[in-house]
Amino acid sequence: MVEATVAVRNDLGLHARAAARLVRTANRFQSTLRLERLDGSASADAKSILNVLMLAASGGTELRAIADGHDEAEALAALSCLFENGFGEL
Amino acid sequence: MVTEVGARAEERRWHGLSVSEGLVIGRVLRIHKGTRHAYPARIEVGDVEREVSRLREAIDQARRQLLEIKQRAAKLLGEEHAYIFDAHLLLLEDRKLSDEIENYIIDKRANAEWAVKVIGDRLLSVYARIKDAYLRERGSDIEDVIHRVLEALSGERPGYLDAVEDAVIVSEDLLPSAVAELDLEHARAIVTDAGGWTSHTAIIARGLGIPAMVGLQDLCQHARTGDEIVVDSYIGEVVLHPSLATLERTRAEIERRKGSAPMTAASATGLVATRDGIQISLRANVELPAEFAGVNKYGAMGIGLYRSEFLLAQPGVMHSEQKQYEAYVEVAQLAGEHGAVVRLFDLGGDKSGAAVVESERNPALGLRAIRFCLRNESVLRTQVRAIIRAAAQGRLDIVLPMIGDVADVLRAKAIIDEERKKLEREQVESGPVRLGAMIEVPSAVMTADKIARMVDFFELGTNDLIQYVLAVDRGNERVADWFRSLHPAVLESLSRTIQAAGKAGIPAIICGEMAATPAYAVVLVGLGARDLSMTPSAIPKVTRVLSKIEAKDAENIAADCLRCSSADEVESLIRAQFLARWPELFTAKTLPAARQ
Repeated sequence: MVEATVAVRNDLGLHARAAARLVRTANRFQSTLRLERLDGSASADAKSILNVLMLAASGGTELRAIADGHDEAEALAALSCLFENGFGEL
Repeated sequence: MVTEVGARAEERRWHGLSVSEGLVIGRVLRIHKGTRHAYPARIEVGDVEREVSRLREAIDQARRQLLEIKQRAAKLLGEEHAYIFDAHLLLLEDRKLSDEIENYIIDKRANAEWAVKVIGDRLLSVYARIKDAYLRERGSDIEDVIHRVLEALSGERPGYLDAVEDAVIVSEDLLPSAVAELDLEHARAIVTDAGGWTSHTAIIARGLGIPAMVGLQDLCQHARTGDEIVVDSYIGEVVLHPSLATLERTRAEIERRKGSAPMTAASATGLVATRDGIQISLRANVELPAEFAGVNKYGAMGIGLYRSEFLLAQPGVMHSEQKQYEAYVEVAQLAGEHGAVVRLFDLGGDKSGAAVVESERNPALGLRAIRFCLRNESVLRTQVRAIIRAAAQGRLDIVLPMIGDVADVLRAKAIIDEERKKLEREQVESGPVRLGAMIEVPSAVMTADKIARMVDFFELGTNDLIQYVLAVDRGNERVADWFRSLHPAVLESLSRTIQAAGKAGIPAIICGEMAATPAYAVVLVGLGARDLSMTPSAIPKVTRVLSKIEAKDAENIAADCLRCSSADEVESLIRAQFLARWPELFTAKTLPAARQ
C-alpha cells in the first residue's frame, strides 16, 4: 500500500469534468484507489464518479490518495500527476 | 385539432424577452423538462429478476443515447460543452449507483422506476448539502441522468428527436442534454418560460441564427404539440392559435421583411450617413465563435464590444495567458483595420462567474466586473498581458466594465502600465492599446466629465445602465414592466454621458441592446450618439433606417423626449412622432407598444 497527499489545484474543484478525468484514469489500474479528506470526514473510491463527486472537494482542498495492489506505485503516480496539473485546467 | 376553420381555439398572446430575432409561423413541439413522476408498486418475489433486467436495459439504453448526444454536442457546440456528458456517462457506468438501485429493488421488492427515484432523490439530498455553490449546482447533472433512466424505463422515446420542418420548440427551460439532443437544424424557433439573455437556449439560438424568446411565464401550460404558433421576436411577442387575420398579417410581414432584408456586406460598410450627412459608425458586439462570421457578413466597422468572459466557458483559460493571447489575436484579425474593443472579464452579478464568486446577497451590487478584477489582481494581470501582446498582431483596445468613478480607472490604469513595462523589460512583443471606461452605473454618469479626462473613449452599456438607473433587476420577470429603456432618466443619463465625451473630445460607443432596435437607434442618434455597437445581424436594419432619416429630426424628437416626465409619455410621443414623420420606416408593431 502506498499513499500521498494531493491538493485540488484548479479553481472549480472536483466538478463533473475533473471528476470524470480522475475516474477514467483510476479505472485504468488494477489497484484499489481511495481518496480521503485529511480530517477523515469523508472518503471515496476513486473509481466511482458518484463517490468522487460526493467528496465535494472544492479548489484548495487537500486529500490523501491511497493505492493498494500490484500496480499501486504507477496508479498513485498517475493520480498525483492529474492533481498536480489541475486536471488540465491550470 | 385546431386546423378546421370554425373550430379554431381562441388566439392568445404572450410577451417575453427576445434573445434572438426573427419572425416565423410554425407548430408547437412541446418539450417537458420537469422531473418524471414515478410511483411505488410492490412486486412479487418472482418478478424481482424481471425488474432488475428492465433496469439494466434502461441504463444501457440511456448510455447509448448519451454517447450519441456527446458526439452531437461536440459537433454543434464545441468540445468544451461536450465534456459534461462524459460525467453523465460515467454516472451511468458507475457500479455503485446501479448496485444501489438493484439492491433496493431486491430488498424492498420495488419496481425499477421507484427504486431509481428513491436512490436518485437520496443522492440529490446529499448533494444539496454540499457547501461549495458551484459543486452543489452539479446536482443537476445527477437529475439529468436520473431523468434519462426513468424515461428509458417508461419505454418512451423522447418525442422531439425528429423535429418536423416547422417545429417551434416550447419548453419550461431546456436542460443542457435536451438542447444537444434536439434536431435543431430543423427547429424554426425556440421559446421557453424561464431563462435569460445568457441562458443555454439564448446562446444556442443566436449561434444557429433562429428566433428565440425567453421569460414567457406560463406559455407552457397552454401550448400543446401541434398547436399553431407565431413567434415574433422582433417585437417580443408569441401568438398561440393565431387567428386567420393574424396569420395573414404575419405572412405579409414576413414577405415585407424579405424585401428589405437582403442588405449584406455589399451595401453595409459599417458606416451610414443620415440624409443630412451625419455619419454613424456601426460596430459588432460578439461573444461566441458562432457569431464571428456575422462581423464580416453584415459589414460591421470592427468589433465594438468583445465580451471576453465567454472565453471562460473553456476550463483553464482564466489563468492561461497563452490561451487568452490566441483568442484575442483571432478577435483582432477578425475585426480588421477598425479593431476590436475587449471588455475585461465582466464576472460576478448574473454573469458566468458563479464558479469564482462567493454567493452574495446582492450580486448586481456586489463584487463584479472591474471590482472583481481589482480584487483578483492575478486574473486581471494575466488578461491585460494577453491583450497587450495580442495588440502587436492587430488593433485591440481595452474597456473597463462597470467603472464607478475616476479611482477605479486609475487603479486599473496603474496595473495595465505596470504590465506593459514588464513586457518591455522581458522584451516581449506588444502593441498599443487604448483604454476606455464602460459607463453603466449612475455614479459614473454623474462624474462622466471627470472620467472622460482619464480615458481614450467611453462605452455605454445600456442594459446595465437601465438596470442601475431605474433600480430594476433585468433578470427578474416580476419587475419586467418597470424595465423601461425609454425612461426619461435613462435618456438623461445617456445624453449627459455623450455630452461629457464630446466635451473631452473622445468617442462614446453605445453598445447595449438599445442600439440594435431601429426605433431606439434613432433616439440614440437624436441624443448625439455617433457610434453604435450591436449584435451583427441587426446592422442591416439599423443601417436602412438611419440612412433614411435626418439627424436633425431625431434631435428634435430626442429633445422633446428629455422633457417628458415618464416612460409612458416618451413612448407615446415616439409612437406619434415616428409614425407621422417616417410612415414608410415604422409601423405600430416596430415601435414600443402602448402599456395597459
